[in-house]
Amino acid sequence: MGHKELMVGNKAVAYGAVLSRVQVTSAYPITPQTTIVEYLADFIASGRLDAKFIEVESEMSAQVSVQGASWAGARAFTATSGPGLLYMHHPMMGCRLPIVMAVVHRSNKSMQPDHTDLMAQRDTGWIHLYCENTQEVLDTMIMSYRIAENDRVYLPVALGLDGYILSYTAEPVEIPDQDLVDSFLPPFKGRSAPHPDMTIEEWRANMSRGAGGYGTQKAWIDHHENMMAAKEVIVEVDEEFGKVFGRSYGGLYEEYNCEGAEAVIVAMGTIASTARPTIDDLREEGKDVGLVKLKTFRPFPHDEFREMAKRYNAFGVIDRNISIGSGGVVFNELRSALYNVDDKPSVLGFHTGLSGEEVTPGMVRRIAEKTLEAARGPVEPLVEWV
Amino acid sequence: MVGEEIVTSGSTSCQGCGHAILARLAFKAFGRKTIFTLVPGCIWITLSRNIPLFSTGTVFEGGGALVSGITNGLAARGIEDMNVVAFYGDGGTADIGLQGLSGAAERNENVFWICADNQAYMNTGGQRSGATPKYAQTTTTPASYIRRGKRTKRKNLPFIVAAHDVAYVGTASIAYPSDLVGKIEYAKGLKGFKFLHVQSPCPTGWGFSPSDTIKVARLTVQSGIWPLFEITEGNDFRLTYKPRELKPVGEALGLQRRFRHLTDGESQEIQSRVNGQWKQLLEIDGKRLPY
Repeated sequence: MGHKELMVGNKAVAYGAVLSRVQVTSAYPITPQTTIVEYLADFIASGRLDAKFIEVESEMSAQVSVQGASWAGARAFTATSGPGLLYMHHPMMGCRLPIVMAVVHRSNKSMQPDHTDLMAQRDTGWIHLYCENTQEVLDTMIMSYRIAENDRVYLPVALGLDGYILSYTAEPVEIPDQDLVDSFLPPFKGRSAPHPDMTIEEWRANMSRGAGGYGTQKAWIDHHENMMAAKEVIVEVDEEFGKVFGRSYGGLYEEYNCEGAEAVIVAMGTIASTARPTIDDLREEGKDVGLVKLKTFRPFPHDEFREMAKRYNAFGVIDRNISIGSGGVVFNELRSALYNVDDKPSVLGFHTGLSGEEVTPGMVRRIAEKTLEAARGPVEPLVEWV
Repeated sequence: MVGEEIVTSGSTSCQGCGHAILARLAFKAFGRKTIFTLVPGCIWITLSRNIPLFSTGTVFEGGGALVSGITNGLAARGIEDMNVVAFYGDGGTADIGLQGLSGAAERNENVFWICADNQAYMNTGGQRSGATPKYAQTTTTPASYIRRGKRTKRKNLPFIVAAHDVAYVGTASIAYPSDLVGKIEYAKGLKGFKFLHVQSPCPTGWGFSPSDTIKVARLTVQSGIWPLFEITEGNDFRLTYKPRELKPVGEALGLQRRFRHLTDGESQEIQSRVNGQWKQLLEIDGKRLPY
């Protein structure tokens, strides 16, 4: 059986890399991601992780070098935060290699967390998984490689954890046994991996599987289709993870205390943790409002929200982000997903927690109560800053 | 020239392209157990499909990181006997690629970097680069009665790399194939960062007849504009081509339209700078450089 340790989120990331038997890692230090780089360097120096560590001079090189390693057939990992992530944008765009990257959220208008960093990578073609607590971070690290390396998907995964709130806060975490992780996560077999004994024809045939070539519209279609196929794979991997390790996160999303609810609030990352006891309190008070924790932002669960729209009369979307000049990214996408359903529910938007501003249970309560009110009749305003 | 002919004929490069000649020579020397990598530039667009080897490319600024990732990825899989080659232009090496080059060189990654230097951004139509020589006309450094072409000297790329204390640094010319191939064959056996800076005359960008590519290359070497040397481990400097007397630079420059506007004074400035540099190189020939 595994054992429990008290650890911060960044250490859970590093443990996840160790348990996933990452072969090549490369990262450039940036607050609040830095200690991931240090933990990994320590794990390698102490022999706990048998991996190459490429000590790069920038995030751009961190991103490209793990892509090179993955292309060459090695399981690769990197991590960054806010501005570092933005510096990676160019090589991230359109990448089709099954690397995993931890994004320790950091705002660009503060050193504190919000989701604007990863939201700015919305269209790069990566799978985006948001984590709520330290245990989920470790478990998602392991699941991410299974999802990324799946033959129907074969795409990179970014997993997000809120800076400071998770990165530097210690929680008890169960560390699964290596044997069990090995049985869940087999060694990586890279599609493009060259080998001196391989002919170029064999290699080309293997590499081009499932991806339209450069210069074609098909390259976009295939990337999108593989991304959409990831929805199924994410759910499968989460279910199997639950069977093997006894913990499960709902795959794309989790409905918490939603039974018989008239309205739900939608939250991502650590705000979901703040929301849980608040929702419990409200339910005890007889207020029928539940929580939907959105874990997978890309691929976006459009169909799943349309199904939910049959059950709930109002959605209150909490966006720890803003697309300046438009609004909450999740709010807009969710409303768009529900445009064609009959008996449209109300969708309210709440911006909060940007630049790391505190999101309190009281704020969540106000959001939930307003959403419940919207389930019963029109409310104003549709979108507000909390 | 010994070695298997790997590069196929019929590339879409311009007539008389120096890169095509360089690719043919270089991959003969590397052989089949080779991965070559690309960043945007003439090589990717016009030549890469004629090189049937394992290959991949990345963003313009990512060349140094890409080869670093590949060599580490292969090593993690226990594969140590493949050449990992960066085959980039002067932009991908000296300018947008310089940061990644420096990182890879500092880590002494086990890769072989060939800079095919045509001295401007030729793939986008011939804009100036950090490798464009002083006074050369490009589309962004035109010559007129106000402006005299490029205002500053080119970066001293081989010495920039040598300052990182790497396994091998050399310069080469497609007009001296034995020297070029010999340098690759020697250096590819070394572990660590290998860098070969090859001048690749560009008929389209420099403005000379496509039949004169080798002639231009040879004249620049014979006049000392493009000296051939190598810096081996320990920073031992050695000239690999030492003519008794240098030809005047005018012969090489006169063939190129990009220098057509030069005044006598400007030509003389180039001549005296080349003379001065050659004197310095003779002084350090056979000596150990500080690092």
